[in-house]
Amino acid sequence: MKKKILSLLITSLMVLSLAACNSKQSTAIGAEESTEQTVTNKDPLEVIIWDTNQQEGLQEICDLFTQETGIKVDIQVKDWDSYWTLLEAGASGGDMPDVFWMHSNNSQMYMNNDILLKLDDYIEKSDKIDLSNYMDEIVELYTWNGSYYAIPKDYDTIALWYNKTMFDEAGLSYPDETWTWDDLYEAAVKLTKDDGSQYGFALNPSNDQDTYYNMVYSMGGNIISEDHKTSGYDNENTIKAMEYVGKLIKDACPSSTTMSETGTDVLMQSGTVAMITQGSWMTAGFLQNDYMKENCDVAIIPFDAQTKERVSLCNGLGWSAYAKTDRPDDCWALLEWLGSKEMQLKQAELGVTMSAYQNTSDAWVNCTDNFNLQAYLDITKESSNDVTNQLVLRPYSYNSTVWSSAAQTALAKAWADTSLMKQTCIDYAQEMNAAIAKENN
Amino acid sequence: MKSTNKINTKRMTSWEKSQFIWGWLFILPTMAGLLVLNIIPIFETIYQSFFKTGDFGKGNVFIGFDNYNKLLHDTEVWRSLWNTFKYTLIEVPFSISIALILAVFLNRKIRGRSAYRAIFFLPMVAAPAAIAMVWRWLYNSQFGLINHLFGSKIEWISNPNVAWISIGIIGVWSILGYNMVLFLAGLQEIPHDYYEAADIDGASGIQAFFKITVPLLSPTIFFVLIIRVIGALQVFDLLYMVMDITNPALKNTQSIVYLFYQYSFTYGDKGYGSTIVMLLLAVIMLITFVQMKGQKKWVFYN
Repeated sequence: MKKKILSLLITSLMVLSLAACNSKQSTAIGAEESTEQTVTNKDPLEVIIWDTNQQEGLQEICDLFTQETGIKVDIQVKDWDSYWTLLEAGASGGDMPDVFWMHSNNSQMYMNNDILLKLDDYIEKSDKIDLSNYMDEIVELYTWNGSYYAIPKDYDTIALWYNKTMFDEAGLSYPDETWTWDDLYEAAVKLTKDDGSQYGFALNPSNDQDTYYNMVYSMGGNIISEDHKTSGYDNENTIKAMEYVGKLIKDACPSSTTMSETGTDVLMQSGTVAMITQGSWMTAGFLQNDYMKENCDVAIIPFDAQTKERVSLCNGLGWSAYAKTDRPDDCWALLEWLGSKEMQLKQAELGVTMSAYQNTSDAWVNCTDNFNLQAYLDITKESSNDVTNQLVLRPYSYNSTVWSSAAQTALAKAWADTSLMKQTCIDYAQEMNAAIAKENN
Repeated sequence: MKSTNKINTKRMTSWEKSQFIWGWLFILPTMAGLLVLNIIPIFETIYQSFFKTGDFGKGNVFIGFDNYNKLLHDTEVWRSLWNTFKYTLIEVPFSISIALILAVFLNRKIRGRSAYRAIFFLPMVAAPAAIAMVWRWLYNSQFGLINHLFGSKIEWISNPNVAWISIGIIGVWSILGYNMVLFLAGLQEIPHDYYEAADIDGASGIQAFFKITVPLLSPTIFFVLIIRVIGALQVFDLLYMVMDITNPALKNTQSIVYLFYQYSFTYGDKGYGSTIVMLLLAVIMLITFVQMKGQKKWVFYN
């Protein structure tokens, strides 16, 4: 009987604790808050970011800030998925890091719910920050009802990375500005070996912004309509581009299962694939890889032969602070520091990323001799031949996380069996439309 | 347990009264934790399941049984429930039977007994996330140690037909030591005389195992069974760490708690997430109830 009661107790306890994990998280975070409330200047400002590759450079910039102001800064890195989970839980529970990155994916939701510190007054008084110095598109992303909620941090474009050694071995010429997506396909097929030791290209459903979005937009399709209300996955040109993706996967990529297990950047760094398209934000990581430095280089992204359009997706992060932080002035001091011309230049020089501050990108290009980083900048300039170069902002809506993460799961099916690509896209368009319709706007 | 039974008697002596007060005082910290972390949240979860929750938990709209209605027609939920059962069917029987056999062997006087015990218990000490990360790389079809050793090309965690078994294997491996320690504790309580008597009567080791060890250990086995079934039905961390969201086998392996996490935390739809977890609560209660009823047939309390 005793044991019976005991096991019954334990049973109910375990069941209960599961349901509890919802609030447990916020309680745990709440507990941290109480220690936070006895704020002295000695406590470091809590900063979270999601990119390990940038941590070192940003820490250096923040250390300079500490020297200047005496305010310590503690940078923590979370991976992309847990970053947003943590931020969302923190915002719901009322405790957030002081300063953090904002992304167009769901910045609107954060701005609309007063989670982010409004920066209007600070900017007005500041002699260091003038928003006209930054790329307009990025400023636009973090403006809501005429107020500013983030200081532009960086911007990014996409380019084509290739393995010179593999190209030499196959006797192919390196990719250049004359390449179309069809050229890429042909080269990729030639670079694929039958024994499975080498593949021409690699992309996973998670490589949206850095890979297939670019193909979709250059072939005249779209991911979301211009008013951010309707899915573009059932657009005829989008489907055409996605079928091109399917062809690539089938003929020139490792199996979809392999790509789901191992990131395309890892496949590139381990010499398994000959080409990938990747964002400029990956450069810092690639620079730390000896194999990449020795064998690989980067070229401008290909264009579409029919539309004559070369499209690179473009996005930019912003530095935001928590609206209810105990130390708004300290947070602003840090934001101002990070957004200042000197530090934006420093960020570029250190090779962290391209900076949002205008005319600082050359410093980034010159941060290394190993790669031709100019490829990331050329897309922003006029093209010499009859091809149009175009930057397209990463597609977003009020809360893009829902549909962009659902897309990855949905497309996994088409990746496994590429003949299902068209139907998957059409089906997914409905799912995405339903998700957008539910957004609290 | 005994003292609480005594409280129910009508008259309390002052000694019993102080026992009562001190008893409660001592469990107060636990009770407070239980209340704040478990009991209040469960009611909050029930409450939330009737709402369409807004951004950051603000602006909830009452929608009655809409979430439950959606749940009934959501094939993804039922498939995830089925996946959870599949996982449970691997983890529970294997982890219990292997642990039982190991416990019997390690209960004997063999050389290096404590070293073996420590080795088998080790996975329990390691953080589940770390375990999952290590296995993820072991299983990797391209660079993984397992495929490398056997020269195979099996896609352990991304082939939909294999992945659920691979996940089950990690589950069995990581819980083995814990079950074993519980069984070892149970085995020590069995008097040695029984085995001597059986030996004199000419019973073989296997006969002694099934006629003496298993029946006398049945309360422990029952206890382990109950908590493992519940634990297995709540599997999450393993899947979350091992399976990428683009993994083609995800649909065939994602558990009900994984789905709950997806809705509540990735999609920020806490209302529907709560509803999913309510379904799991109902399922666990039902299974546990059936097990409690069924124990009369095979569990011997002496």
